[in-house]
Amino acid sequence: MQKKILIVEDDIHISKIIKMNLNIVNYMTTEVYDGLAALEAVKQEKFDLILLDVMIPLLDGFALMEKIQPYRIPVIFLTAKNSVYDKVNGLKLGADDYMVKPFEAIELLARIETVLRRYGKEEQVMMIQHVRVDLDKREVTLHGEPVELTPKEYDLLVVLLKNKNIALSREQFLDKVWGSDYYGETRTVDMHIKSVRKKLQLQDHIKTIYKIGYRLED
Amino acid sequence: MKFWHKISLFSFLVFVVIFNAASILVIERSHNKILSQEINSALSQNMSIHSSIDAIVPILRIYDSLDYEKTVLTNVAKEFVEKNRDQQVYMDITNDKNQSIYSNVDFKMPIHREELSKLAMDEIHYIIRDIDQRTILFTSNITDIHHKSYVFTYMKDVTSLYADRLEQYRFFAKVDIAACFLYMLIMLFVSRGLTKPIDRLNRTAQVIAQGGFSERVPLKSKDEIGVLARNFNEMAAVVEDKIQDLERHNQEKQRFIDNFTHELKTPLTSIIGYANFLRTTKYNEERFLDGLDVIYTEGKRLESLSHKLMDLISLQEGRGQMEEQDLGSIIGEMKPALEMMAKEKQIDIVLDCDEGGRLLLDKDLIKVLIFNLVDNALKASALQQSITIRLFSQNDQYVLEVMDQGMGISEAHRDKIFEPFYMADKARTRDNQGAGLGLSICQRVARMHHAVIEVASEENEGTTIRVIFEPVYPKGGGVHE
Repeated sequence: MQKKILIVEDDIHISKIIKMNLNIVNYMTTEVYDGLAALEAVKQEKFDLILLDVMIPLLDGFALMEKIQPYRIPVIFLTAKNSVYDKVNGLKLGADDYMVKPFEAIELLARIETVLRRYGKEEQVMMIQHVRVDLDKREVTLHGEPVELTPKEYDLLVVLLKNKNIALSREQFLDKVWGSDYYGETRTVDMHIKSVRKKLQLQDHIKTIYKIGYRLED
Repeated sequence: MKFWHKISLFSFLVFVVIFNAASILVIERSHNKILSQEINSALSQNMSIHSSIDAIVPILRIYDSLDYEKTVLTNVAKEFVEKNRDQQVYMDITNDKNQSIYSNVDFKMPIHREELSKLAMDEIHYIIRDIDQRTILFTSNITDIHHKSYVFTYMKDVTSLYADRLEQYRFFAKVDIAACFLYMLIMLFVSRGLTKPIDRLNRTAQVIAQGGFSERVPLKSKDEIGVLARNFNEMAAVVEDKIQDLERHNQEKQRFIDNFTHELKTPLTSIIGYANFLRTTKYNEERFLDGLDVIYTEGKRLESLSHKLMDLISLQEGRGQMEEQDLGSIIGEMKPALEMMAKEKQIDIVLDCDEGGRLLLDKDLIKVLIFNLVDNALKASALQQSITIRLFSQNDQYVLEVMDQGMGISEAHRDKIFEPFYMADKARTRDNQGAGLGLSICQRVARMHHAVIEVASEENEGTTIRVIFEPVYPKGGGVHE
């Protein structure tokens, strides 16, 4: 089932770029541009998560937080303000995470995913072509047949699936799969990609992107 | 030790010393006076005995008998003693062989009597002796009868006098304790009362020191402490004002920084976001053009923001070449450029600057000011309206007026529009690529020219901004700097 995310951001350009990034990884989105509209939207519809700018017209982010607390919807603050006071205030009011602009799309996606997982709203099964991945069991099947993957290959596959249609650099793969303290060569990524492509017959779907890295496409 | 303790203790000590000294002086003086009276009376008694003996000496000469002398002297002494029976007086007569002729003394006479050694004929000496538990006043003289000298000693018991003095002291001690106690009590209350205002002052000072700057001392008295309290309150008021000023200034600065980061990061977020989106997702022409458009406009916005900021910063540094120039002709020069700006909305620019006006100006800065004011007016105006620029003099002052027929500024926004990054209508300002810096810049320019900006506005009817310049030459002066 697709997750519904409310984007509360008064800058239309930013709102749109967030929406585009979320849509491409299969989230449904609703955009509103001020605090009162956001409050209306929360009353009308059920959302799985809210991305909330602090400095919005009519009703600011912190005031809105207080009003929507009874709905118990996870909230990630988006803001240009990165003072300690705002962080503390935001988190105290029950925000689940905090993003300081400017941020990268995959970083936002990762945070959204973390928050959704915390609320038990994350998809447990992901599909691509004939490949099915069960996150609970760490089980991968191709045409219904189990496929043996090394732990790193499995992690790499999950990162690709979670950022479907978005190209990630080799450094980003290293960071997400091997950890930020891993000082390996980017060739390690290439080798694992090659292996995953072969084992899961995804040669046509894991694309090599010039100057960037790899992208999983439907 | 507290101040009021010191006051009461000190005054108490002074009181004790003076009171005791004075009382002792009085007691001693009265005692001495009575004593000297007693001595005088004893001496005169002795004298009278002496003279009565002198009177009978011729008779004694006739008889010239030792026994007779003795009998007569004894009789005289007895008679005298009898007469003063109730006064505890004693008589002792001895001859030159130290044999007692008469004595009614009921105590032991001292053996050594130093007062007799220097005693001459017809002299009376006195001495006070403590014998047993009594105090006796001795008066002695020598009488010569038939070449035999007799010592007459007249004595008086003055014990009661000393007892009186002791009694006085005893009584005084009681009075002393009571008086001191009472004095101490009164002094404690008085000094406590006197220092209470100081305590109050102290408490207020502590409250203020802990940040309660609006605290004041509730003292109304007219004495020195009252004056101190009034001055203290005045000081506290000044400090409070200063601190509020600083806080306001600080908040303004903080707001500037907050707004600045917001204005800077918002376009950056868009630019980076779109660029990254385009580079990491599959090519799609519509999204591609959309994204490039956003990157271009947001880039332009950053550019204009940086220009405005540079203006603002250079203004803050106070650079500028002030020369005497004609403001009217500067506006005339700008007309084509302003009309170009107004063309898009088909707005008429009406100039009414015939009067001219020579002022000390920085031409470039004044152009920035006029440009910004007209720009704001244009943004507020609807299609086919008009903007009037007027220059006129009024009470020795030149006034530059920019008047539009636009949407006006609501009262809620009016006092904040000069704040950097303040936007009355965010969305509209952004659409016009504004950053909310225009009026801040105008304000700075005006301030450098010692001019004041006034705003008059009616919602939906238009805004009039007046820049009021100080006269170039103050009356009486005429020196060109």
